[in-house]
Amino acid sequence: MIPQLAALPLLFLLQVPPPQRTIAIDEAFAARAGLRVGERVVLSATPGALAGDTVSIGAIYEKSADPSEIARGDLTVRMHLDHLQVLSGYGDRVDRFAISTKSDAAIPSVLEGINRVAFGFRAHRSKDIAVETSRTFQVVSRFHRAIGVITIVASSIFLLCIMILKVDERRRDVAALRLMGISRSSVVQSIVIEAALVAILGSILGVIIGWLASRFVNWHYQELYQTPLQFSIVTPSVVLLAVALSLILGIVAGVVASMRMARTPPLALFGR
Amino acid sequence: MRATLAAASLLRHRARTLLAILGVAVAAAMLLDMVMLASGMRESFRQLLMSRGFELRLAPKGTLPFDTDATIPNVASISSTLRSNPDIRLISPVLGASIHVPVGERTVSSAVLGIDPLVQGDYEMTEGRDVTDMGSIVVNDYLLAQLGKRIGDTIDVATGYDPQTRTYAGRRPLKISGRVRFLYGAAEQSASAMRRETLEAMGGPRDRASLFMISLAAGADAERVRIWVERTFPNVTAISIATAIASVDERLGYFRQLAFILGAVSLFVGFLLVTTLVTVSVNERAGEIAVLRAIGVARSHIVQQIVIEGVVLSVVGALLGLGLGLVTARYLNTILSDFPGLPVAIDFFLFQPAAAWTALGLLVASGIGAGVYPAWRAASLPISTTLRREAIA
Amino acid sequence: MTDDGRIIELREVKRDYAVGAERVHALRGVTLDVARRDYVAVVGPSGCGKSTLLNLVGVIDTPTSGTVAVAGRRVDAMRDREATNFRLLNIGFVFQRFYLMPILSAFENVALPMAEAKVGTAERRERAARLLSYVGLSAREKHRPAELSGGEQQRVAIARALANEPALLLADEPTGELDARTGAEIIALFEKLNADGTTIVVVTHDEDLASAARRKIHMRDGLVVDA
Repeated sequence: MIPQLAALPLLFLLQVPPPQRTIAIDEAFAARAGLRVGERVVLSATPGALAGDTVSIGAIYEKSADPSEIARGDLTVRMHLDHLQVLSGYGDRVDRFAISTKSDAAIPSVLEGINRVAFGFRAHRSKDIAVETSRTFQVVSRFHRAIGVITIVASSIFLLCIMILKVDERRRDVAALRLMGISRSSVVQSIVIEAALVAILGSILGVIIGWLASRFVNWHYQELYQTPLQFSIVTPSVVLLAVALSLILGIVAGVVASMRMARTPPLALFGR
Repeated sequence: MRATLAAASLLRHRARTLLAILGVAVAAAMLLDMVMLASGMRESFRQLLMSRGFELRLAPKGTLPFDTDATIPNVASISSTLRSNPDIRLISPVLGASIHVPVGERTVSSAVLGIDPLVQGDYEMTEGRDVTDMGSIVVNDYLLAQLGKRIGDTIDVATGYDPQTRTYAGRRPLKISGRVRFLYGAAEQSASAMRRETLEAMGGPRDRASLFMISLAAGADAERVRIWVERTFPNVTAISIATAIASVDERLGYFRQLAFILGAVSLFVGFLLVTTLVTVSVNERAGEIAVLRAIGVARSHIVQQIVIEGVVLSVVGALLGLGLGLVTARYLNTILSDFPGLPVAIDFFLFQPAAAWTALGLLVASGIGAGVYPAWRAASLPISTTLRREAIA
Repeated sequence: MTDDGRIIELREVKRDYAVGAERVHALRGVTLDVARRDYVAVVGPSGCGKSTLLNLVGVIDTPTSGTVAVAGRRVDAMRDREATNFRLLNIGFVFQRFYLMPILSAFENVALPMAEAKVGTAERRERAARLLSYVGLSAREKHRPAELSGGEQQRVAIARALANEPALLLADEPTGELDARTGAEIIALFEKLNADGTTIVVVTHDEDLASAARRKIHMRDGLVVDA
């Protein structure tokens, strides 16, 4: 009797099913599929399969700010390594190891040590891999830069055109000043100072508008692509470049426009 | 007379007019580029998809072609069922895998497509022969360069490679029978193709396909066939050209939005430039305009003359901008063509005459609008007051 | 009002302007008639309302109150389009500063009002040539205003004013920008025009021009003091 009784707990243990495996899914996946933590799903490595592993959703995570993932709209799942190895039939293999060293100083020696004994694989710094795989982002950056250059060139032409028009509008005032005896350089200086003031005010306004636009762009695309990635960052160096460029362009446009006017004889400015 | 007055007025201040035309040209160029960007990728992709006449593509359920390593089983059975549909004319199953070729001390790896050369729609021959027998392989220029071989050379090809033990599996000597250009391949990507039977014989997945390309009979309804396919084969996603384009649209929505914003800004700036020029011009000529009114020229005729000036600026600027825009579009396209994995045949900036002329037409229309208000204002000034003010000035 | 030989009829015409916060009474109730084929000079000190009077008669201004009739038609309440057309066909204007289109030649300047009045090309050409010949400038018809002297420019302006064979020629200080000799040429031209049947009303400070007129109207402080 006692051996049978002793066997009961063992039998009970044998009959209890193993605990259910859990997975974590990204926010976009959870939103699109309407899934919540605790819900059960069936996992399979075969597309369209009706049977597979039943797992429960253990967590929902925020997607990483990886620019190369943005436009793809992929849905991601995180699983325990052994679970994925079994499910995918991959066996005792991985695509890569991620290694954290005790200190930054140890990185070169660890790299060299691994690569010396590596058989069929290589170790790389994460930074170097990131550069290699962020080609998408680099292309977008180059594209933005090209658009930026074109915009600057176009803006310079517009600015010069409008400045010449506006200075031309005041030809009679300038003529009257010159006839009174005000020197050419004084006339040029006054117009250039005015252009500089307008450029400064314009730059300040432009920076404010740019900052607001940057915030809007980030909000819009973060919502659209469900990502924490920052699409636009206004840094001090960007502001400095923008202000310096607009000041220089504004002043140059003012100088060109005013010198054109100053070179014309006063009576000709009156239309005689 | 109005046209004469308008032309003479523009020629009176040549430098100013030229600068304004240049400004409008730049705005027009930007606008054209943005119009080309907004629809270029989609249209370019559509043309690519249609280039070989395959209207439907079947991929493993929930995936896009070659997005994952997943494959569709039972190729023979699926093909047979597909053929039973009278709306289906041609079926081209394609199997994607990798090959590895030992070259000296190193190994050159490449993507390979297992195809049926009679119905394939993935590449165009540029030199040599297609893979008509089991012992042939065709390669793209990039792979050929990496291998350092020529057409007619035989290479040792494996379908499996273990980098740890440096051993190859599924080896077979294959003769490079031809050079091809893969329609969906990126520029710096090794790619090759062989018969699907060859790939299977070398240890590749048997009776499986990564993708089916389907050509429909004339007049067939692609959407109806697509629905039939998905109902008949639950483990497959059927993608029509429309759905493929929609998914590309989603991924490239960023560029469309950017194009829209920059295009709108260009249009606005062009408008601003013309309106500023016309305003300054009419303000300078307030006296002249008042005299014209005094001698009996109707207000509307004065407005017409001034508007003609704005239109001339816009039209000449727009035509110049067309040329400039095409040049900058080529440059920008070169930048974006560097996207990793982008098929060579895809252009981001595609010139579509209808869209281009619409955009430039919009610019000219805005030039007209830009001139109307300042012109009307100037022509409506009280004649006697204006004459007195101009006399004093 | 009826046109019984009178080409201009003003009745109790007033014209006020707002200048900043103040109100200026340019005309304070002018009643005046001018007969057809008359040659009238309106004289008076600066600010007396001479030019305002001319502007009202020329339908380029509207009175605050009172009535203005030209060539038998009430013009004080005309809408813009009607007034413009009336000016085009019935009134010729000559200004102190000539106001020729600098971008057109002398010939084109004279042809401009005719083009507006939709006169045919052949007739336009013939009439413009005839008018330029009348004012003594046949040899200068292809020249732009910048290439003409002040007197020549004013003569082109007079030819332009006569382009549509108006009933009335109005001139505001036509010799104001000219030297004495050139001014005399213009005065002679006016005399010739009047002798040929054109009704002329000039506003002027020029004593010689005023003396050449058959009738002088003196104005002061917005009123006619001696007609």
